[in-house]
Amino acid sequence: MTMLTGTIIYAIINSAILALIAIGFNLTFGISGVANFAFGAFYVMAAYGVWMLIHMAHLPYLLAVLISISITTLSGALMYRFVIVRIKGQTLSEVIATFGIGLSVLELFRYFGFVGFEYTLPVFYDKSFIIAGAYVDAQRLLIVAFAVALIIALWLFTHYTHLGLAFRGIAQDERTSLTFGMDPDRIASLAVSFGAGLAAIAATVIVPLGSISPEEGYDVLIKALAVCIIGGLGSSGGVIIASVVIGFAERFTDSYIGSHWTMIVSLAALLMVLVIKPSGIFGKQKELEERI
Amino acid sequence: MKKKQWVFRYLVPVLLGIFFITPMIALAADPIVIGVPTSTGFLEGKEGLKAVELAVSEINSAGGVTVGKVKRPFKVESIDIRDAAPGVPVPEALLGIEKLILEKKPSALLVGPFRSEALMASMDIIAKYKVPLLGAIAMTPASEEKIKQEPEKYKYIFRLSLNAKYLVKYLAGTMGLINSEFGFNKVYILNQDVEWARKTAEILGQVYFQKAGWTIVGQESFPTGTSDFSSTLMKIRSSGAQVILPIFDMPQSGILVKQWNSMKVPCLMAGFISPLAGPGAWKTFDQKIAGAINSIFEMGSAIASPKVPKSVAFLNAYAKHFGNPIEAGHGPGPAYESVYILAEAIERAGSIDPDAIVAELIKTNRQGVLGQVRFDDGHQVIYDMNPQESAVAAMFQWTPDGKRMIVFPTSLAEGKIQLPAGLTSAK
Repeated sequence: MTMLTGTIIYAIINSAILALIAIGFNLTFGISGVANFAFGAFYVMAAYGVWMLIHMAHLPYLLAVLISISITTLSGALMYRFVIVRIKGQTLSEVIATFGIGLSVLELFRYFGFVGFEYTLPVFYDKSFIIAGAYVDAQRLLIVAFAVALIIALWLFTHYTHLGLAFRGIAQDERTSLTFGMDPDRIASLAVSFGAGLAAIAATVIVPLGSISPEEGYDVLIKALAVCIIGGLGSSGGVIIASVVIGFAERFTDSYIGSHWTMIVSLAALLMVLVIKPSGIFGKQKELEERI
Repeated sequence: MKKKQWVFRYLVPVLLGIFFITPMIALAADPIVIGVPTSTGFLEGKEGLKAVELAVSEINSAGGVTVGKVKRPFKVESIDIRDAAPGVPVPEALLGIEKLILEKKPSALLVGPFRSEALMASMDIIAKYKVPLLGAIAMTPASEEKIKQEPEKYKYIFRLSLNAKYLVKYLAGTMGLINSEFGFNKVYILNQDVEWARKTAEILGQVYFQKAGWTIVGQESFPTGTSDFSSTLMKIRSSGAQVILPIFDMPQSGILVKQWNSMKVPCLMAGFISPLAGPGAWKTFDQKIAGAINSIFEMGSAIASPKVPKSVAFLNAYAKHFGNPIEAGHGPGPAYESVYILAEAIERAGSIDPDAIVAELIKTNRQGVLGQVRFDDGHQVIYDMNPQESAVAAMFQWTPDGKRMIVFPTSLAEGKIQLPAGLTSAK
């Protein structure tokens, strides 16, 4: 029984981690239509940023987190302003350009020697609790609380603020939004920068569980893609459902089948969704085309 | 008085001249190029390269290497062959090695490939170009078998680091010690899903656990990059295991130790987790690794013992030179030692002809950073338990005050294994 409840608890935590990772990628794509393949690089950049501000500039942890998130958010906006805006609408070019930027950032960190086990961040609160017989550390509980709070905050933002409504307007119909005086380029720029900022937020709460390395950038991108494709690109509800599906599948596979099958399970789920419903569980982007 | 004046006027300037000019003459002579093709983007490769650079700077400061009658300096040329990175195909690593050999014309290669797969594949290239390799990272014993089968062809390949067989010997010795001290005999094996780790776990099961009456209550393989071990730790908790034996060389494996601590799993952790080897791990892991027992693959790689004085001198020199201590428990020690072994072989040979160097390398018998270094007929440095007779590895335990205490082999032991809080002896 303890094993089952423990597995459920850790599956919830895993789902929250996946949702935190994927929500920024999904927000950018849903609003601007840009598949930001530099997403993993922003995640890693933010984590290294916090590390550098703590260890080199000797800033307090929270201040370092705030500065790093701000810089990463700004980097997203700059990437849109100087690169993406010139190729906007050419999907393949956007993917290649953002992937190239991500690759450059990650490999630059490697080139400058940011390799080693010392690159990690401190936990926010250092304590363990027993929940239904399973030991859980405070950082993991914090991740769950943070993921829930962030999802609620994003929902409120997109439903009750002018900017959020503009985001949704552009996402629903760009041309009609133009007639209401919305500037799609400005909104898209904000969406890419918000996505980068969300990657930074995810990094600052998730990285204390492990360590920072350039490889982490590729892993995060793959996880974000898997969740978004299964959930349906651009669908926030889909991201949450897909995070739960993959999060539970991974932990239950770990517990009851074997750890070396974990990665296969999520990839198999991805493949199955692509074969059965390529637009994802809640994706509407290509649904009509699929039916035709 | 006149005699004193003569000393100051002539003898002192001449001696000073010899002292300062001799190294300059050596530096002016054609350098002997040392190639370092390895994964410099990974800790073991990065620190291995730095260890080579340190040894080279020491040798060059002392005047260089005597080749015949000429003092010649060493010059290091490195290339990142990226073979440690997931997804990088072996042929790419081979291209890097070949590029270094053809463009920089090294007289020897040091450190070498990271992954055993890359070492095995590179043996033919090294044999083709006849460049001696003194490896310090890749651990497969299969390379020794290949050398024994075709000794003339593969005679250029040597290994100073621990191989997988010796690692098994050290892990088995540690398990034996745990069994005799605390009566533990139930083990749960966790290994990374890569060739060397799988093989080490498999051989350990066959040659030690089954014969010594241990029960392997479970075994899990984790793909490289796994970052959550919670489910497995819950399984271990309910399995009744007394010892967790981890075998990992990926950065994420540090998470296993953090989770072991935060989930308060009542088992002794003893094996190899690469991020746990260096002194910085105490801070990196928020001082939560007390009680964990970890391997150091070679003396001098992140740990030193007064019983091997050169290992202490090396670690101090490294920290002074680079401003940071060594963190990798595998690679730097043999990488540093390999420069001195090569220098001595060249001096004995009086030439940089590869065959002449190899003939002298085989005769190596040197007390250095690793202990007493001698090669066997597979060109593998012999590791055992006494540093006066062989090279040595070490097992250490993290103490509650953040120190690393060597617990095995007994010839180097600084104390006995202590059970972490909450764990009691079965005796």
